[in-house]
Amino acid sequence: MRLPVADSTALRAHTGLLLRRHRSALGRVLVLHTLAAAAGLAGPWLLGRMVDAVADGTTAGFVDRAVGVLVLAVLTQTVLIRYAQRGAMVLGETVFAELREAFLATVTRLPLSVVERAGTGDLVARTTNDIDRVAHTVRFGVPRVLVTTATITLTLVAAFVISWQVALGLLVGVPLLLATTRWYLRRAAAGYLRESAAYARLNGTITESVEGSRTVDALGLGPRRRERVDADLREAFAAERYTLWLRSVLFPGVDLSFVLPVIGTVVWGAYLVSTGTATVGAVTTIALYALQVMHPIGELIFWLDEIQVGATSLARIIGVDAVQPDRETRADARPRDEHVVAQGVRYAYREGHDVLHGVDLDLRVGERLAVVGPSGAGKSTLGRMLAGIHPPTGGTVAVGDVPLVDLPLEDLRGHVALVTQEHHVFVGTLEQNLRLAKPGADDDELRRALRAVDAEWVEELPEGLATTVGSGGWALSPAQAQQVALARLVLLDPHTLVLDEATSLLDPRAARHLERSLSAVLEGRTVVAIAHRLHTAHDADRVAVVDAGRITEIGPHDELVAAGGDYADLWRSWQRD
Amino acid sequence: MRRLPYADPGTPPLTSAPAYLWWVARGQAGLLLANAVTGIGSAVAMAALPYVLGRLVDGGLDDGLSRELWLGSLALLAVGVVLVVCNVVGHRLEVQNWIGASFRTSQLVGHHVSRTGDAVTAELPTGEVVATVASDSLRVGEVYFITARFVGGLVAYVVVAFLLLDSSVTLGVAVLVGLPAVAAVLALIVRPLQRRQRAQREASGRLTTLGADTVSGLRILRGIGGEDAFATRYRAQSQQVRAQGVRVAQTQSLLDAMQALLPGLFLAAVVWFGARLALDGEITPGQLVTFYGYAAFLTEPLQAATQFVQSMSRALIGVRKILRVLRVPVTGADPELLLDAAPPTGGGDLVDTRSGLVVAAGSVVALVSAEPDETARLATRLGLLGAENLEHADDIRLGGVPLSTLGLAQVRRRVVVAESTPQLFTGVLRDELDVRGSAVADALARALETADAADVLDSLPGGLDGEVAEKGRSLSGGQRQRVALARALLTEPEVLVLVEPTSAVDAHTEARIAERLVRLRKGRTTVVVTASPLVLDRVDEVVLVHDGRVVARGTHRGLLDGATTEALAYRAVVSRAAADDVPAARAPLGSGHAVDEGPGSTDRADTTESTIDEEASRATARR
Repeated sequence: MRLPVADSTALRAHTGLLLRRHRSALGRVLVLHTLAAAAGLAGPWLLGRMVDAVADGTTAGFVDRAVGVLVLAVLTQTVLIRYAQRGAMVLGETVFAELREAFLATVTRLPLSVVERAGTGDLVARTTNDIDRVAHTVRFGVPRVLVTTATITLTLVAAFVISWQVALGLLVGVPLLLATTRWYLRRAAAGYLRESAAYARLNGTITESVEGSRTVDALGLGPRRRERVDADLREAFAAERYTLWLRSVLFPGVDLSFVLPVIGTVVWGAYLVSTGTATVGAVTTIALYALQVMHPIGELIFWLDEIQVGATSLARIIGVDAVQPDRETRADARPRDEHVVAQGVRYAYREGHDVLHGVDLDLRVGERLAVVGPSGAGKSTLGRMLAGIHPPTGGTVAVGDVPLVDLPLEDLRGHVALVTQEHHVFVGTLEQNLRLAKPGADDDELRRALRAVDAEWVEELPEGLATTVGSGGWALSPAQAQQVALARLVLLDPHTLVLDEATSLLDPRAARHLERSLSAVLEGRTVVAIAHRLHTAHDADRVAVVDAGRITEIGPHDELVAAGGDYADLWRSWQRD
Repeated sequence: MRRLPYADPGTPPLTSAPAYLWWVARGQAGLLLANAVTGIGSAVAMAALPYVLGRLVDGGLDDGLSRELWLGSLALLAVGVVLVVCNVVGHRLEVQNWIGASFRTSQLVGHHVSRTGDAVTAELPTGEVVATVASDSLRVGEVYFITARFVGGLVAYVVVAFLLLDSSVTLGVAVLVGLPAVAAVLALIVRPLQRRQRAQREASGRLTTLGADTVSGLRILRGIGGEDAFATRYRAQSQQVRAQGVRVAQTQSLLDAMQALLPGLFLAAVVWFGARLALDGEITPGQLVTFYGYAAFLTEPLQAATQFVQSMSRALIGVRKILRVLRVPVTGADPELLLDAAPPTGGGDLVDTRSGLVVAAGSVVALVSAEPDETARLATRLGLLGAENLEHADDIRLGGVPLSTLGLAQVRRRVVVAESTPQLFTGVLRDELDVRGSAVADALARALETADAADVLDSLPGGLDGEVAEKGRSLSGGQRQRVALARALLTEPEVLVLVEPTSAVDAHTEARIAERLVRLRKGRTTVVVTASPLVLDRVDEVVLVHDGRVVARGTHRGLLDGATTEALAYRAVVSRAAADDVPAARAPLGSGHAVDEGPGSTDRADTTESTIDEEASRATARR
């Protein structure tokens, strides 16, 4: 399952909303930038005046006064730029902070079934890469676009004010500029995305080679890894060549459309001077404007490019808003007892392709049920249904006569919990990690929970419960991390647990040690254990064999062995005595 | 345009960073030279624009569309065209210089790490090795990108200097000395800005880590609660980043203002001085315009010079890291070093003198130990896999010949070790399975059947021609292990060593694999490290290892029924695996004896995720 990406309508609506919310700050910044740009136009204008004045024969006093005005203009521009830039950057920071905080708030509220199915890879990519890309656009792009737009607009306005007749000469470059820019922008974003995808692939190849260096060595994969690097570089080269070609069209087009207005102004201006419509100074000023406006236009094109790339990331960020809730909870739902029953449960990840074909299961309170069966039979899916993660496509799973999916998530957690192979230690102190499960717990309670799962090592930590753990902090071994996860369960205290091969990914020795910790947690609870090792089944109160989306056999181990079905065959081959 | 990557990236000097940079430069000297020419062309044309414009102001503008004006305009157009052409050709050349250097570096690193074995991970963490390709090689490229502009800028600066001095010595000197002074002042202001930017980058890096960490553990967060606490923490850090950003904005806006102020005042001074000269008739109004243009233009070469210095220092730091990777010694096991393509005729027992292990030629033997690590270590030693085992080359004999005399490439060809956490690689499944590139369709099918991996074909769109995602992420943990097993079987080596090949699969599947594996390898030397009775019952011989020595050998049944102390020890190990000897307390559920599959919890997340996909695709396949 993939997380949604916002379409262009949603993107525009969202951007509009964002701009409207900050319209006063935005307005202030725009006014300041426009004024700053206006002050920046004084140089060429005064130079034009001086050219005329010198030609007419003027005094040193005039020159001094003119330069005095110029200095004043520069000082004004300096002050204006200072506040305009600061305003723009602070605005960028504010908008971006809002954006990322809203994103994370949405993400941490995503429906349970979406999180379980979409996996975290895509979300991590959105939280890191996409947020970073938008950051670049919002922090640097937005201020620069404001400045350049203001400068360009104002330069043109000034040129027309000084002599609209001469300024017409500036327009000679516009058609070429528009045509090449349009042509380029239509292709650029895709081209640059292809480039970054190619580099991402190259980095992936290097990561694989290094992480799998023993496998590379063992199987003699060296030549293949080198071929792969070369193939990735070939693709990166092709991508670079494409964007280089785009720029090979863009640059001459833009450069030429910068040179043409200068020539256009001079020739057209000379004609106007000869007819007496314009002065040499006006022509000089406007020709200098034409030179001066080159830089902001080039920068604007550059940013339009980046903004396109930023927009695709923004679409992925706000796309998360479009995820629909997966259940409608009833706040008044109160289960009568701790009895979990599944009736006619069906489930399809894709419509028409049922993974479960009407499973009935009546869990006895306090029993241990082992679920066995070949991979892909639907064991994990059944586990998720029993834990209330996914609403079933058909049938119900209820606790005390209340369907699990009617319970608010906060309540559901107190009834049934799913324990998977996954364990994650969050960056933070150990107590923060534990209090997730019970925010009000005091230190004694936390210590009791840790003792219950045999985690005596806590006492040896440099700062005990206050030790910072997780990536970058004190490194916990996988077994210790799993014990933290188990202690959380003790604090959460649900009456029913669904274990999906909870310790199967640990190394054998750690698993043996954890068995004790796990028994402490299981004490006094109803347990459904999905397992691929048969001794688990042997020890359970009942065993359910799942095959092809159905429970084909269910009963105590001894009865199933005596019945002589599939389970009995398997047990015998395992046992062999 | 030369096609990249290079057929052979060459052998760089590993002595020092400057030597490396010089070596790269020599490799693309022609391109660099051509680029310098265009750089000079662009810069001179840029410098010529104000000059021609000034000439036009002096003569021509007054007289309307005179011959002089047309000539001047044509000159302007000519300069413009030179500029346009030099710019675009120059850009093409600078990009070629950039990718030439950076691709060569990436290729060198990418090729080298394929020859070092795991020694490279001992030298540097994976992230840093990847960073040499992901960022350091690009930094190296930047030096060659900027060189032409730097050289062009220098030349333009000198040309303008002469033009200015020719018009007015005072003004010329003022411009040439004043501008570097302005640049130096600006460089001083940049320092505190860089400090604040660094602080913001760090805060923002922490924020990204926090976000990624929260999202990585999201399934747990949603499962047990604590979302609000995390959203609050993120918000607090995010506000800290914002506050840092505001501090950056203070300094940055000050710098931006200075960038307007200093050149602006300088320009005003030039205009004032120039206008005074013009009034006195020492220069023409046109020359005044030219001066104005130069003062604005000259900031460009200055910028290029600063950039060149900055990128050079970044590149030197990057090259040092690259050299650390390139200096890691190669193992000498790469197949390219296989001098004799046809291995000497096989046969003969595999003997490890240190443990006393003798694997009879053509037999399938299982190694069992109370400490799974011990047998795993012994197994990898048999194939001299990994830096830690290289010293044992004299202790292992194959057909009476010590492995030390065979050479590592030959050993790899004859003895294949498949460890318990083998890695899958991105690529078409067929190629990823058939790593020696010699298997026929029949053999592929047989290996997949033996590893009971046919379901992978269903779950992977395109089957054998489907693409395996990075590190096999699109497959479940069990599928990855079975694909890796099929891959090892397909190498069809004289000796195959498998470490815990079925630890992540369910009992049904394990039973099938055990039976088929022994059938497939019948008559070919095979060593399996396992404690599973389903496998042990099938092999020709079981060897019990304790404290690094072989302590018992026999068949599974024989050892189970035996009465010796060794047989008792064997029963203790095996029965714990089968857990028919339940401890007093009820053995917990859900625990299995499997090995860790992946380095991080993200991998595990993917495992579960793909289990779902697997189930979904199975449902599809059944229809």
